[in-house]
Amino acid sequence: MSIEVKNLVKAFDDKKVIDDISFKVDDGEILAIVGFSGSGKSTVLKLICGLIPYDSGEIITSEGDIAMVFQYSALFDSLDVEDNISFALHERKELRKKYTEDEIRKIVSEKLQLVGLKGIESKFPSELSGGMQKRVSFARAIVTNPNTILYDEPTAGLDPMSSTLIEDYIVSLKHEINAASIVVTHQMSTITRTADRVIMLYDGKIVFEGTPQELLKQETPYTKQFVMASLDGPMQMQA
Amino acid sequence: MMTLRKYLKQSATYKIFTQFGIMFHDFVDTLGKITMMGLRVIKGILSGQIRPRELIIQCERFGISSLPITLSIVGMTSIIVASQVAHEMVKQGGGNFIGLLMTMLIVREVGAIMSGFALTSMIGSSLASELATMRVTEQIDAIDVLGVDSVSYLFVPRVLSGFIMMPLVVIIASFVGVIVGAVTSDLFAGLSYRAYFDSALLGLYMKDLGVCLLKSATFGAAIALISCSCGYYASGGAKGVGLATNKAVVWSFISIVILDMVFAIIFFF
Repeated sequence: MSIEVKNLVKAFDDKKVIDDISFKVDDGEILAIVGFSGSGKSTVLKLICGLIPYDSGEIITSEGDIAMVFQYSALFDSLDVEDNISFALHERKELRKKYTEDEIRKIVSEKLQLVGLKGIESKFPSELSGGMQKRVSFARAIVTNPNTILYDEPTAGLDPMSSTLIEDYIVSLKHEINAASIVVTHQMSTITRTADRVIMLYDGKIVFEGTPQELLKQETPYTKQFVMASLDGPMQMQA
Repeated sequence: MMTLRKYLKQSATYKIFTQFGIMFHDFVDTLGKITMMGLRVIKGILSGQIRPRELIIQCERFGISSLPITLSIVGMTSIIVASQVAHEMVKQGGGNFIGLLMTMLIVREVGAIMSGFALTSMIGSSLASELATMRVTEQIDAIDVLGVDSVSYLFVPRVLSGFIMMPLVVIIASFVGVIVGAVTSDLFAGLSYRAYFDSALLGLYMKDLGVCLLKSATFGAAIALISCSCGYYASGGAKGVGLATNKAVVWSFISIVILDMVFAIIFFF
């Protein structure tokens, strides 16, 4: 077990955004959290990595780092690619003592190669395309060899080819570092190409849990509405 | 038919009170956040979380890059005061005290407060917008997720650089202000440099210099702390960045005046 979420509840201004949800993700497994905008998908990730506190419930994670790949990469624009990737190695006391500068440079180069990039260490984020920024943010996330990786809409805003590339890296990272991964997305290609299991959120609750194939079968009103991208169904967009 | 409750809600008095309530809530909330950040910065400094490389970068930003505008503002304030006072004082037979007056004024007040205003508009606004942009683009979240304390990483070098560099900026600005006062007095009232500097030294006490340095360091730290806090708690995209910057400048200006008053009461009352 790498992540276990039990009866998690989070409310903003008395409105329950996450309402008593529970799920598990094992090492080497990719769970996709899907749902329409505003269904609380990204909030789940922020609760797991501790960016916001939860009201009740429990989040149990294995020892080790939790990494997150942000929707818009969130690269530090004042630092070049090398400094972005090596940020945690330079700024965390225990890691700073562990590695020499040469070793850090080597790790940066290795992580860049893992995401298919080479020789861009001295470039700044503003000099990179959206897809490349996303891959650099992957490299930054895995620099500490985390045992949990959270992806917040990793293919949002990318062209279809870049999306495919990113989806392939998510799968290859799963094999490479055997981390438990959670991918928040509403893109069908990302769900079908990366996920082992899927949960669907609506109004803060889990309304479907199964495999991507089960999702595509559209056997429940929720899955049918989501896959068909229909406005008619049990899920109503908030005004 | 309109109920009493509905009528009251639409009345101007209700709206004014509601607005005051929101402003008071915002004031207490901001003050609490700045205080909390201040305590975390002190804790960070005491636990040795000082990043020398980042501190040097921020010192350069706070001190060197702000110097031209600070010197210009203090110098011009000196011209404004000397040009109006020198001629009149010479006419009334008090020409020998112009240097004393200018030195006291610049060292005790003008140097620190004008530099504070200059640094607020130049560095404070830039710190607030920098951190606010980092907040709305999730860069601050990324720092925290990577296991680095974002407050210690972002605040400690910036607040410390304000504390260290502001006294240096004020000393240089005050020196320039006194010299500009001498030149202006000569041009406007024909006062000799010798007469000006003889009385200037009479009005210069070690206590004044000490208070000036302490006050400047406090102003510098306050500007950085307030600006960083306003930026750190920004939300909501471009509008949020603008609001945070605006708040940082307003709060810094008001804090400088309040701190100046506190220093005046403590040391010169």
